[in-house]
Amino acid sequence: MAERVEVSGGEPDGSVSPPVTAAVVAEPAARLGRNTMMAAAARAEAPALDAEPVTAAELDVPSGDSVPARDRTVAGERWIARVLRVGAVLSGAMFVLSLGLEALPGTEETHVAIDQLRKAAASLLLVTPVARLGVAGTLLGLRGEWRYLAISAGVLGLLALAVGAGIQA
Amino acid sequence: MTVLLLIGVGGLAGTLGAMLGIGGGIVLVPALVLGFGLPLEEAVPASLMCVVANSCAAAAGYVDNHLSDIRLGLTLELATVLGAIVGGMVAALIAPAMVAVVFGFFTLYVALQMMLVRSPRHEPSTLDDYRPTNYPLGISGSFVAGGLSALLGVGGGPLKVPLMSYGMRVPFKVASATSNLMIGVTGAASVAAYALRGHLKLALVSPLVVGVLVGASIGGRLMPRVPTAVLKKLFALVLLTVAGQMLWKGGAGLWPNVWK
Repeated sequence: MAERVEVSGGEPDGSVSPPVTAAVVAEPAARLGRNTMMAAAARAEAPALDAEPVTAAELDVPSGDSVPARDRTVAGERWIARVLRVGAVLSGAMFVLSLGLEALPGTEETHVAIDQLRKAAASLLLVTPVARLGVAGTLLGLRGEWRYLAISAGVLGLLALAVGAGIQA
Repeated sequence: MTVLLLIGVGGLAGTLGAMLGIGGGIVLVPALVLGFGLPLEEAVPASLMCVVANSCAAAAGYVDNHLSDIRLGLTLELATVLGAIVGGMVAALIAPAMVAVVFGFFTLYVALQMMLVRSPRHEPSTLDDYRPTNYPLGISGSFVAGGLSALLGVGGGPLKVPLMSYGMRVPFKVASATSNLMIGVTGAASVAAYALRGHLKLALVSPLVVGVLVGASIGGRLMPRVPTAVLKKLFALVLLTVAGQMLWKGGAGLWPNVWK
């Protein structure tokens, strides 16, 4: 069981950080990568107190080099989530609008609008996961994880090959 | 009325697919073919489109909550796509019925093991307290999953979730969320191939996708709250259904010609 305690202490550079809340657990080293998919290098430099979710008050306090690394990871994940969410919401809204238009008395213009809306919505939905792949690879590449940039480029290339050749992936 | 029913079916498939990382095709294809009397050629691309929608809607929340392992997903995605391409190329050489029977028995075995055998391994207490192991197994398994996806149209989720969970020691919920992230890419490529051939019916897809997006949002919120044991039992039931479908599909066409 984790026991909550208040701790305060000095930073490695001798400065004193304000009190923060930490979780004291039985096997600290294994658990300290708290719910972020950090690279091994970034995880290794994470401070011990990283085990506890950062509260708003603590966010103002810089606590070492790991904070930017963690922030970059979280920001990267937010971008990936944003791409997926925007794609899903926009295409969903277009599909809903097309269903709404279908309920109206049918004219030639309405039918054309419905058709165009649906094509745009379907295209957007299909592009979204591919864009997510590109964003994930780029963000990881920018963080120096070139392997994942190469992997995402490889996946995109293979997908292009499959679609171009008419192979059903 | 039909539109509302399609939205409802999409919602159910979206909720289940988002919670288990399987996309929802397993619900949609039988529902569209048996319930709505649609031909399989229209049901499969519509179902794949819903898998993409499910992946986008559910994965957004999972990535935000740090449930999806993005690096693991990218790595296995490469193997899956490669397997799918190889599967598509060898589809002309192998009788799908034979593959379906083998996959059916394998799925049945995994489902029964999940239902009947209590795993000695405990799930980590926190979802970040793990490190994927056995990458060679994960990569080769994903390659096979991609190949089966192309050969049988089953989608990779039912194979990849147990592969990550049992083979790579990834927590079940992380495996499910990561599978959700991955299936969107392969689904999109498959739909693109169908769309280029003119098999995608957008009038059918529209209400289904609306339902799936709503269902996936609900499933994505439910999944972190549902106990892992319940998710595993639910997943085992889904696997049993897949096994039944595969054995039925394979049994009908296996004999006398094993090889074309």
